Amino acid sequence: MLNFVVRRLLAMLPVLLAVSLLTFLIASLLPGDLALVILGDQATPENVAALRRDMGLDQPLWWRYLSWLGHVLQGDLGRSFRTGQTVLQAVAERIPVSLQLMLMAEFIGLLIGVPLAIACAARAGGAFDRFMTGGAFAMLSMPSFLTAILLIYLFAVELRWLPATGYVPFSEAPLANLRFFVLPALTLALAEWPGIMRVLRSDMIATLQEDYIALAKAKGLTPARILFVHALKPSSLTLVTVTGINIGRLLGGTLIVESIFALPGIGRLLVGAIYTRDLVILQGVVLLVACGFVIVNFIVDMLYAVLDPRIRHGHA
Amino acid sequence: MTKAAAVARKCVPIFLVAAFALVAPTAQAQKSGGSITVGQELEIAGFDPLKVGVYDTSTFTAAAAIFDTLTTLNEKGEAAPKLAVSWTHSDDYMSWTFKLRQGVKFHDGTPFNAQAFKENFDRQKNPANKCRCAFYITNVKEVLAPDDYTLVYNLTDPSVNLPAVITIQSSNNVIQSPTAWKTKGDDYNRNPVGTGPYILKSWTAGDRMVLEKNPDYWDKGRPYLDRIVLKPLPDAQSRFASLQSGEADIIWDDENDADNIMKAQKDPKLTVHTYKGSGAQVYAFNTKTAPFDDVRVRQALVMAIDRPKMSQAISNGLSRPASNPYGDGSWVKCKDDGALPYDVEKAKALIKDYGKPVEFKMLVTATPRGRMVGQVLQQFWKRAGANMEIEQVDQATIPSRAFTRQFQLTPWRIVDLADPDPQMYANFRSGSPLALSNFSDPELDRLLDHARVTADLGQRTEDYCAISRLINKEAIWFWTFQNTYYALSSAKLKGFPKIYNGVIDVSTTWLE
Repeated sequence: MLNFVVRRLLAMLPVLLAVSLLTFLIASLLPGDLALVILGDQATPENVAALRRDMGLDQPLWWRYLSWLGHVLQGDLGRSFRTGQTVLQAVAERIPVSLQLMLMAEFIGLLIGVPLAIACAARAGGAFDRFMTGGAFAMLSMPSFLTAILLIYLFAVELRWLPATGYVPFSEAPLANLRFFVLPALTLALAEWPGIMRVLRSDMIATLQEDYIALAKAKGLTPARILFVHALKPSSLTLVTVTGINIGRLLGGTLIVESIFALPGIGRLLVGAIYTRDLVILQGVVLLVACGFVIVNFIVDMLYAVLDPRIRHGHA
Repeated sequence: MTKAAAVARKCVPIFLVAAFALVAPTAQAQKSGGSITVGQELEIAGFDPLKVGVYDTSTFTAAAAIFDTLTTLNEKGEAAPKLAVSWTHSDDYMSWTFKLRQGVKFHDGTPFNAQAFKENFDRQKNPANKCRCAFYITNVKEVLAPDDYTLVYNLTDPSVNLPAVITIQSSNNVIQSPTAWKTKGDDYNRNPVGTGPYILKSWTAGDRMVLEKNPDYWDKGRPYLDRIVLKPLPDAQSRFASLQSGEADIIWDDENDADNIMKAQKDPKLTVHTYKGSGAQVYAFNTKTAPFDDVRVRQALVMAIDRPKMSQAISNGLSRPASNPYGDGSWVKCKDDGALPYDVEKAKALIKDYGKPVEFKMLVTATPRGRMVGQVLQQFWKRAGANMEIEQVDQATIPSRAFTRQFQLTPWRIVDLADPDPQMYANFRSGSPLALSNFSDPELDRLLDHARVTADLGQRTEDYCAISRLINKEAIWFWTFQNTYYALSSAKLKGFPKIYNGVIDVSTTWLE
């Protein structure tokens, strides 16, 4: 197992390097001159040239990349030219919000998706299965901004059960904090559960046709015990992958959901950075998020290996 | 036009019926206490001019509460005392002397005086500081502080209306504590200190800014509310939902959300504050590039625009067509502003007369509104025989592209200001960095020069109307809609002033 972990860790290095190069290029190749943006109406040719010199923008691309990478490796991702905040400060302030949102969304998604998948698989092809499979399709095609607005109108404006927008940190008021997160997490979860359900359902249907399930049935085990104890674990391999990949997808979802529900997370930080062309923040956040994604994938690989010993021994 | 770039399409509102505000101070008793939440469109980047350059609409609201300006606009739109109690000018309007209010202190205890003001000014003006804010004070040669409570503005060009022009809560005009920026350095940007009615208590990035009543405010009895919470609610739908559900007491809004404004008008629990300001949404042709170096093409494009139809398409008819750059909110009223009529046939004839294909690119902001405006214009012009290609760029790019003249046709805005001079002079005087059209005309220059040194309003009105006729005839710029500013609030919120310059100023409000 240790061998496997080390191999995977080494494999991550080139990926992280590629991530850093791409992130750097995104910000460098975007149309528009950073010096022009910073100077705005002060942008005389002399001012622009002077600022470009100060910022090293007149240096060749490779030199800028290496110098930027050097700073990044020392933990210096730069400073927003608008607010004066460092990237790390800005991200540290926002990341707990996004993590909480993604975890809650994933949790609610699993809470809806897993039982439905089991129920569908138990009577595959039945009326309930057909209805839920169709419903999952419908939910998949629903854009999250629309779900969000519908939820807001129903639960915040009409029923007044939950707040439409806002945030308080969990440490200040745990209950209020959860109230603020219900609608945004539900919005994301409503886009998540169909995927979860469909993947787990088809894996379970396959598992239920295995010989050892027939044996279990022959031994007279209850259907519930067969489903939850004997079929669920071997069927959840793909689900683990999907859940891992979902973290990446959810990050995309937070861009919209955090803006609609006014949650001060990474998504909002990124949208704001794009809107104001705050390239330093943009570059830094994309890099951190991409690295986060690579690390989540690594964790998924590890879980995979735990769930299926064949993987860590290189047989599958 | 100066602030236009910075403020771009935003700006805010004011009040619905003039009667409401006029009677407000006398007919309604102000109540002290309570807290309100303001739903804003944007996140605030900070308050240090050296960092943020110019303020956006959301920052204006906070700045109006934390800071004071020398002067303010009264209900009639005239300059009235704030930190300055009186003022005089030299005969040629090249110099203005302000007498300052005594006994005022910044929130950190630093005394407010002429020296403090001068330090604010010099810091922005200092070329070494490279402040983007400096552009807007290029017409001020120097500020002198001959004694503690006297301030002298020496100008490079005459300005007959300076006290009204400096009322906007912009980064140039609000007065910040020199002690605070000197001691806090980089941290000052997000820890502003002013003399205003509210003190910054806490600020959670992306979430909320909490302002608390300044107990030592110089205007005794004010402010009324104990606390103001400013929240960025970027999504228009959920911002309105927050108002409906009571989480916000007042929100920023604009004509893009025509549906919400109309819904609010029908809701007895809400008040729609509208202010029909001066200025307009405008567009500049670059007359140094083909095909806009030919007046026939420019005139044809202007004549092909059906403004009422466009208003219907983009804002459900809420946008008010503009035929000059001043608008109904301005004191400049023209019997004849020289507007070209809507006439597609004439437009086609002009383009035919031009004889070459008319093809060009237009800059629009990469926002739903920018796209829609671009598409509507594209259709009008197609009908007249011209092909326009939309070039979408983000909002921050437009000013830099405009200032470096890298455009054929660009959107712009003339914001609501108490006097047309600063923007008109900057936008149309030959050689001005903001004369985006690159158009030069001796008669236009003469009129602009004359209008800025004349004190007689009647004479100035004649000048500005002649300017409008000349620009409309040459079609170097065109105007689509007048500026209308909106705020939607709970009906319980009282004392909300006019939305001058598009600034939602909640520092004078109270809860019924």
